[in-house]
Amino acid sequence: MRQPVITLSDASGPARPGPHPLWTRAFHGFNLLVLLLMAGSGLEIYNANPVFGGRAGATVPGWLTLGGWLAGGRDWHFGVMGLYAANLGLWIGLLLHRRHRRLADGGDLGTLRRSASPPRRRLASHRVTYTLMLVVLAFSLLSGLAMYKPAQLWWLVSLFAFAEPAGHSSWQTLRVCHLATIPAIALLLVAHVGLSWRVGGLRLLRRMVL
Amino acid sequence: MGSDPGRRRALGLLVSGGSSLLLGGCGLNRWSTAVGAATQPLNERIEALLQGQGPVPEFRPSQVEPAALLVNSFNGTPNLAPESYRLVVNGAVRRPLRLDLAALAALPQRECVIRHVCVEGWAAIVAWSGPRLADVLALAGPSPLGAYLAIRSADQYFETWDLASALHPQTLLATHMNGAPLPVANGAPVRLASPIKLGYKQSKWVTGLELMTSLGDRLGTWEDRGYEWFAGL
Ligand code: HEM
Ligand code: HEM
Repeated sequence: MRQPVITLSDASGPARPGPHPLWTRAFHGFNLLVLLLMAGSGLEIYNANPVFGGRAGATVPGWLTLGGWLAGGRDWHFGVMGLYAANLGLWIGLLLHRRHRRLADGGDLGTLRRSASPPRRRLASHRVTYTLMLVVLAFSLLSGLAMYKPAQLWWLVSLFAFAEPAGHSSWQTLRVCHLATIPAIALLLVAHVGLSWRVGGLRLLRRMVL
Repeated sequence: MGSDPGRRRALGLLVSGGSSLLLGGCGLNRWSTAVGAATQPLNERIEALLQGQGPVPEFRPSQVEPAALLVNSFNGTPNLAPESYRLVVNGAVRRPLRLDLAALAALPQRECVIRHVCVEGWAAIVAWSGPRLADVLALAGPSPLGAYLAIRSADQYFETWDLASALHPQTLLATHMNGAPLPVANGAPVRLASPIKLGYKQSKWVTGLELMTSLGDRLGTWEDRGYEWFAGL
C-alpha cells in the first residue's frame, strides 16, 4: 500500500518540514471566510420561508443569520457565490493536479478497515474527513445553482427528482439537500479540527494556518 | 463607484467579516445593499446570457401542485369587473390600445405548465394559459427603440421588465390557471406568468402595459425597496 506518511513522521520525527504551500493555505483560509458568509446569508434566506414547515415553520436565531432581511440575505448569498465557487473550483483543481496524494483514496479506506495502529487510523480518517468536506462543499454549489437557475438548469433540478415516488417534489428535495450541507459541513469541521489536532497538534496547525 | 476605494472597502469588509459574523452579523448587515450593487451587474449579465437559450422545458399537466401555490399580495385583493375591464397598452407604440377581455381571448391561446418560484423559497408547478405577452404587444406596433416594459396593476403594484424577457415565448398574460378561469386571489382577470422570472416579477390584476425606451426612477414595488430587478430563473 503506497501511503504518504509525511504527516505521521512530522508529528513525531525530528525533521521539521516547512509550511504547506502558500496557495493551499490561501484557498483554505479564504474558503472558511466565504463559507461563513454563505452559511449566514443562506440561513437568512431560510427564515423567509423555512424549509421545514413553510410559513408556520421554526426560524433560526437572528445571530446566526447575515443580511438583515430577505433581500439583504440574497445580496450576500449571490454576491459571494462567485468568490466561493471560484475559490473552491480552483482549490480542488490545484489539489487534484499537484497534491492529489494528500487527498483520500482507496488506500485510506483499507487502512481504516484493516490497520490496528491508532496513528495510522487517525491519519486515514483525517484524510477522508477533509476530502469529504470538499465533496460536501461542491455539492452545496451544485444544489445551490439548481435553485438559483431552476428554469435554465432544469437538468440539474431533475437529478433531485428521486424522492418523487415518495411524494416529495424535486424542489423540496433540493431545498432539503442544499440546507443539509450546513449540518454536514459543521460535523465534518468539528472532526477535521479535532483530528488535525490529534494528528499534528499546534505544529500542524501552524503549518496550515499561519 | 471607482474601483480603488471600492476594492479597499471590499477588503476591509472581508477582514471584518469573519469576526463580526460570529458576533451576530449585525455589523455586516448594513453592507448588504453595497454587496448586491457590486455583484448584481455581473450576475445579471450571466442570467441574461442563460435566458437567451430558448424555451424552458415544461411539466406534464398531471404534475401541477395547486396546494403548493401560496398567495402573496402587497395591497389587498382588487375586484375588477370583467365587463368593464380594459388593458391599456401605450408608450413607445404606433397604436396605443385599450383591449377588453374578448380581444385577449381572440388572440392565439397558449398553455404553459411551469414551476412558479417565489423569492421566499417555495415553489409550485402551475398550468397557466392565455395569450402570449409578445402577441399583445405586437398588436400595438412596438417601436424598435422599446427596451423595457412597465406593468401597472389595479392594486398599484408596479413592475418593469427587460423586453427580451417580456417577449419570451412562454411569457403569458394569463387568464386561466390549472384549467379554470383565474381566481381573483391569483390575479383575475389578467396576470403575468412566466417560467423565467421570480414570482414578484409576475404582476397580478394587470391593467396597463407601457413600452419604454429606458428605465425611469421606479423599477418596481419590491425592487425599489431593495430586491433584485432582473430576478431571472
Ligand atoms: C470548512 C472549512 C474547512 C475545509 C473545507 C478544510 C479543508 C481542508 C483540506 C482539503 C485540507 C488539506 C489541504 C492540503 O493538504 O493541501 C485541510 C488541511 C488542514 N486544515 Fe482544514 N479545512 C477547513 C477548516 C479548517 C479549520 C477551521 C482548521 C483549524 C482550526 C483547519 C485546520 C487544518 C489543518 C491543521 C490542516 C493540515 C492537515 C494536514 O496537513 O494533515 N481546517 N483542510
Ligand atoms: C455557489 C454556491 C451557492 C449557490 C448558487 C446557492 C444558491 C442558493 C439559492 C438560490 C437559495 C435560495 C433557495 C430558495 O429560494 O429556497 C439558497 C438558499 C440557501 N443556501 Fe445556498 N447557495 C450556494 C452555496 C451555499 C452554501 C455554501 C451554503 C452553506 C453551507 C448555503 C446555504 C443555504 C441555505 C441554508 C439556504 C436556505 C435554504 C432554503 O430556504 O431553501 N448555500 N442558496
